[in-house]
Amino acid sequence: MTDPLVRFHNVSKSYGTYEAVKGLNLEIARGEFVAIMGPSGCGKTTTLRMLAGLETPSGGDIRIDGKVMNDVPAHERDTPLVWQSLALFPFLNVRENVEFGMKMRGIAAAERKERALLWLDRLGLKGFEDRRIDQLSGGQRQRVALARSLVTEPEMLLLDEPLSALDPHLVIRMQGVLTRLQKELGITFVYVTHSQSEAFSMADRVVIMGHGEIEQIGAPQDIFRAPRTRFVAEFVGRNNILPGDKPGQELVVAADRMVVSENRPEGNAIKVEFLSEEFAGTSIIFYFEGEGGEELKAQVSEETLARLAPEPGQTFWLSWSPDSVHVMEPV
Amino acid sequence: MRKLSLYPFVWRIPLMVWQGLFFVGPLLLMVAMSFWLVQNYRMQPDFNFTNWERMLTRGYFWDAYWVTLWRASLTAVLASLIAFPASYGLAFHLSATARRWAIFCLIVPFFTSYLVRIYAWQVLLAESGPLNALFGNAGFGPFTMLNSGFGALVGYLTLVLPLVVILQTFSLSSIDRNLIEAAWNLGASPRETLLRVIVPAAKVGLIIGAVFAFILSFGDFVAPFYLGGSKPPTLSILIIDTTKSGQQWPRAAVVAIMMIVTLFVVAFAAVGAAYRKRK
Repeated sequence: MTDPLVRFHNVSKSYGTYEAVKGLNLEIARGEFVAIMGPSGCGKTTTLRMLAGLETPSGGDIRIDGKVMNDVPAHERDTPLVWQSLALFPFLNVRENVEFGMKMRGIAAAERKERALLWLDRLGLKGFEDRRIDQLSGGQRQRVALARSLVTEPEMLLLDEPLSALDPHLVIRMQGVLTRLQKELGITFVYVTHSQSEAFSMADRVVIMGHGEIEQIGAPQDIFRAPRTRFVAEFVGRNNILPGDKPGQELVVAADRMVVSENRPEGNAIKVEFLSEEFAGTSIIFYFEGEGGEELKAQVSEETLARLAPEPGQTFWLSWSPDSVHVMEPV
Repeated sequence: MRKLSLYPFVWRIPLMVWQGLFFVGPLLLMVAMSFWLVQNYRMQPDFNFTNWERMLTRGYFWDAYWVTLWRASLTAVLASLIAFPASYGLAFHLSATARRWAIFCLIVPFFTSYLVRIYAWQVLLAESGPLNALFGNAGFGPFTMLNSGFGALVGYLTLVLPLVVILQTFSLSSIDRNLIEAAWNLGASPRETLLRVIVPAAKVGLIIGAVFAFILSFGDFVAPFYLGGSKPPTLSILIIDTTKSGQQWPRAAVVAIMMIVTLFVVAFAAVGAAYRKRK
């Protein structure tokens, strides 16, 4: 394997006594789409900002292309970032916004214009070049921000919750735009989000962070099926945490692997009380309460819903096959 | 047609009455007065262009006009330049609490009368005053600072600087920090960020600050009179002189109208430039 593009080695960042990031080790390969995910305050944005040079690590080092970047100021790096707020310059029009980075690099006006128009065209903004930013819709602004960051052809693009301000239908479309761009350009995307659906549907690898530390790194499927810790299992959701055979041991069974029955089945099963149901598009989630008060979930089909017609308080049995059990690391 | 609702109308009445009685009324009276004549030290209502011709064809009027315009412009530019580093520091290098204290300290000068502060400068700037004593010890001077253009400028800056700093600080501290970081992120050095992002983003506040400096110093009488030595006279001093010599209120009205027209033109042009939307 070739050298990674980015290498975090024991990186930490503290603000006074508060440790935002603790001893982070992470390697990101060239051309990889990595999503860093976690609840707010988990240190994901701080990690991204350190990569862009907007924060200086308190300890450890960050290498890009093998070079230690700790003391390289933000404006001398080639790590364009797409902000959650987009941070488009309101006093510049669309084309001037896209040209800003090239202007700072001393690229001649004619070439700047040509490349800016090319990128605006590529992102479906042909004819919008002379518009003011406040004359654009949310989705159009998003694409201007992308064009502004990509026009300098960086090796890596950083994205900080770029879709969180968009309407749900636009989010799906922009996810398509982003994955297509990333594949076409073959550059590295480092994508920070708290949205599981965004991270899991786009990223090659997902990094789950909690309390300033990496909890798990893996492909979306691995993280979903085999959460390493209770933190990950709870954050990912749609699964059931069950006590294991040994003391302190915990098991996880995904909600879609749970079978709901009215009578006690063979094998592993627990007795539960029905609480409520939730429609999530085509699938339905049943929520139950176990005998110890714990919350349990099962993903079922419409047919199951029609067949069982559960009432709150009704007793059911949840069962699972041994091969859908994942044993988590003890806490 | 929209029905005029009585309730909000009632609340507007006091302001309208006040503005009508003490602004629009006197203004109209002044315009009318500029066409009156003075005979035997008494004003006679008339419609005569003599005063206008008399003032606008005299060199001393235009000398005073250009001096006033130049000083006010210089004050606006100097105050903006001197205030900017202070405002920048207040906006970007202080905590919100420290900034509130600083703003408070900038309001304190307004507690004391402007005239009192000007008297203090008279002492400080005098030929045998403490500043010249200091220069003398260092082997310079003495410099003539009082009764000069320099003295007047010190007065104007005393009047406008705290206000300009406050206006600039408010506009700088309301800039979205993400814009500044986005500029760095796109390769702009701190200097380029200042010129290409911070100044354009704070443009409205910076221009409003300069306009206030211009308006206040353009009409000021105290600084040019007590620190500038009245020579050359500014328009405000010219108005006093004209009313004192032979009760020439109509001619003073001509000067005042010229001042108001100038201020309107400058203020409208500046506010227009500040809020101009790009195509």
